[in-house]
Amino acid sequence: MRAYIVESRRESSIMLEIRNLHATVDGREILNGIDLIVRPGEVHAIMGPNGSGKSTLANVIAGREGYLVTEGAIHFDGKNLLDMAPETRACEGLFLAFQYPVEIPGVANLYFLKAAVNAVRKYRGEPPVDAMDFWDLVHERMELVKMDESMLKRSVNEGFSGGEKKRNEVFQMAVLQPRFAVLDETDSGLDIDALKVVADGVNALRSPERGFLVITHYQRLLDYIVPDHVHVLFNGRIVRSGGKELALELEEQGYALYNEEPGRARRAAA
Amino acid sequence: MTAAAPVFQDSSRPAFIEFAADRREPDAIARLRRAAFDRFETLGLPTRQQEAWRLTDLSALKAMTFQRPADALIDAGALPTLGLPAHRLAFVNGRFAPGLSHLREMPDRALIASLDQALLAYPQWIEPYLDRLPGLAQHPFTALNTAFWEDGAFVHLSRGTVVETPIHLIFHAAGGDSTVYPRLLLVLDEGAQATVVVEYQGTGRYLNAPVTEARLGDGAALHYHQIQQESPQAFHLGGIRLQQGRNSEANLHLLSVGGQLARTDLEALLDGEGASCTLNGLTLARDQQFSDVHVRVDHAQPHGSSQQRFKSVLDGKARTVFDGMIHVRPHAQKTDARQVSRNLLLSRQAQAHSNPRLEILADDVKCGHGSTTGFLDPDAEFYLRARGIPAAQARAILVHAFANDSLNSIRLTPLRERLARLLAADLALDIMEGE
Ligand SMILES: Nc1ncnc2c1ncn2[C@@H]1O[C@H](COP(=O)(O)OP(=O)(O)O)[C@@H](O)[C@H]1O
Ligand SMILES: [Mg+2]
Repeated sequence: MRAYIVESRRESSIMLEIRNLHATVDGREILNGIDLIVRPGEVHAIMGPNGSGKSTLANVIAGREGYLVTEGAIHFDGKNLLDMAPETRACEGLFLAFQYPVEIPGVANLYFLKAAVNAVRKYRGEPPVDAMDFWDLVHERMELVKMDESMLKRSVNEGFSGGEKKRNEVFQMAVLQPRFAVLDETDSGLDIDALKVVADGVNALRSPERGFLVITHYQRLLDYIVPDHVHVLFNGRIVRSGGKELALELEEQGYALYNEEPGRARRAAA
Repeated sequence: MTAAAPVFQDSSRPAFIEFAADRREPDAIARLRRAAFDRFETLGLPTRQQEAWRLTDLSALKAMTFQRPADALIDAGALPTLGLPAHRLAFVNGRFAPGLSHLREMPDRALIASLDQALLAYPQWIEPYLDRLPGLAQHPFTALNTAFWEDGAFVHLSRGTVVETPIHLIFHAAGGDSTVYPRLLLVLDEGAQATVVVEYQGTGRYLNAPVTEARLGDGAALHYHQIQQESPQAFHLGGIRLQQGRNSEANLHLLSVGGQLARTDLEALLDGEGASCTLNGLTLARDQQFSDVHVRVDHAQPHGSSQQRFKSVLDGKARTVFDGMIHVRPHAQKTDARQVSRNLLLSRQAQAHSNPRLEILADDVKCGHGSTTGFLDPDAEFYLRARGIPAAQARAILVHAFANDSLNSIRLTPLRERLARLLAADLALDIMEGE
């Protein structure tokens, strides 16, 4: 399962730096001062109960409208991320696997992917992708996430099951090969086989140059994607950080310190 | 009575008398014209006090002084091609242009010709059909057309005749504040089948008031495509009458892109058991454009089915109207009639009116209608942008997806692809090959 276990390399440069991030939605403060540093090669897990602000953090990183950053900063490779349009962030190498992938009727998955790949290439000053190369890449990545070829012709996420949608997110990530990926509860609603497929997809992409922020409600995913660091988000703050053993501890105790009973996370996941 | 006369200089009574005197044609046709002109005078030009014209502002049209068009020469390159072998008839300023036309070998028992020429050669084939269909009786532009048409197309397929080669009818108007009245008469006898593509286009300012009459015998099938790409200054006020026999099938695609003011009134009479009628409409309107479709589907016999799918995409200060009536007569049990109108607004100043109407007089029927008007889905736009696609392109992709759906059922592949490209060009979108 564990395709790569990468030592975190303290000496290497900072990839994502979040400093004292405060954000509001509709005037309500959701993020209350988040500090987080991710270096290339690292996998960070963010855990926390529902409503703690996990998706808000992911959306602020990706640049979704409706979230107002009132204080603090996010830098990506030293550049001010909050100044960039969402598409610029993506072209700079950022990827968000959505908790709720959006259905786009009438836009074929393959067309969408090619448009995305070419948008990134254009941003980098590269010519459009060669049709054969693209086809090869798509097929290789499709196998990685065990996706059926018929999904390429279907409209983006339209009529997909929950599992297919999540798989499609990982597939897109595998094709776009971002340098930094945020996965927002990509494990939710998946059975164990689908979960392994998703984890395999992520693990295959793990590399010394890539960073991941894996958001999850349950410890389960972290059996398959072994993180370097685990953070607990509660009420818009990181209240604890630790190594992968913190996830196991949470599994034993639930978010007991916070608002959930021990074992509840396990039962809910079962 | 004479209110319309000063406006349409060419449609004053003296002008009509002069026009009619020049035409050498059978008495029956001359009588039709006179009756139609009387009807036009009675109806006058529509006003917004009339319910059917409440949302159609004709003041710009009424401020015009139109005249009969001069002969014009245009370059063959200015006319579209189908990308397929076709029976092609081209008309410039409402008059047949043989040099721009191409009639292939005619199948047996079929006639595809200029209406005017056909009338000279075979008046007995035209008289029984011209202006015989009910519907649009209150439509003054149909009356004007009947009074003033100079030419158009006549398609008559006798029993069982299947014409695979598409019939391509192109009407080009050369402007100069002129009026053109193309007349299309399509008669498909029992079991006959035809595919027709009608294109309206032009340059400068003019009024195009075409009328199509299509009569489908029992079991006949018509695939009809109308592409309205008039010039930006043009007025387009068209009428379509359709009458369907038992188990006949009509598939109509109506694409409306051009004109400062465009309106099509369509009446379909499903007059035989089991007739089926599909109407697919797509309107693109921007800037100050006004584009209007009025549809009435009349189910007169049992077991008929009809599907109306009308979409519009509006930008700038454009306005569109969709007024769709499903009428089911008491006798027309087991009718299945659907109507969907969907409008996509790209600007806050654009306005789409949808007015679905049902008159169901039979009790054992399935009828449904739905109408939606909305802006682009911001979540979908964000999803595309989050993958690196720039905002403008993301919006274009979404609009294209919305509109292109209307073209998917066009079976003529080169035409479908041309229209998809036209949409893409309209949206400044690069569509990729092979998708
Ligand atoms: N777009 C939004 N509109 C309104 N409230 C929101 C929105 N996004 C998040 N919230 C609120 O912010 C809080 C945190 O939500 P979220 O970040 O989705 O939590 P999590 O992902 O940890 O479950 C919740 O109380 C939620 O109701
Ligand atoms: Mg969430």
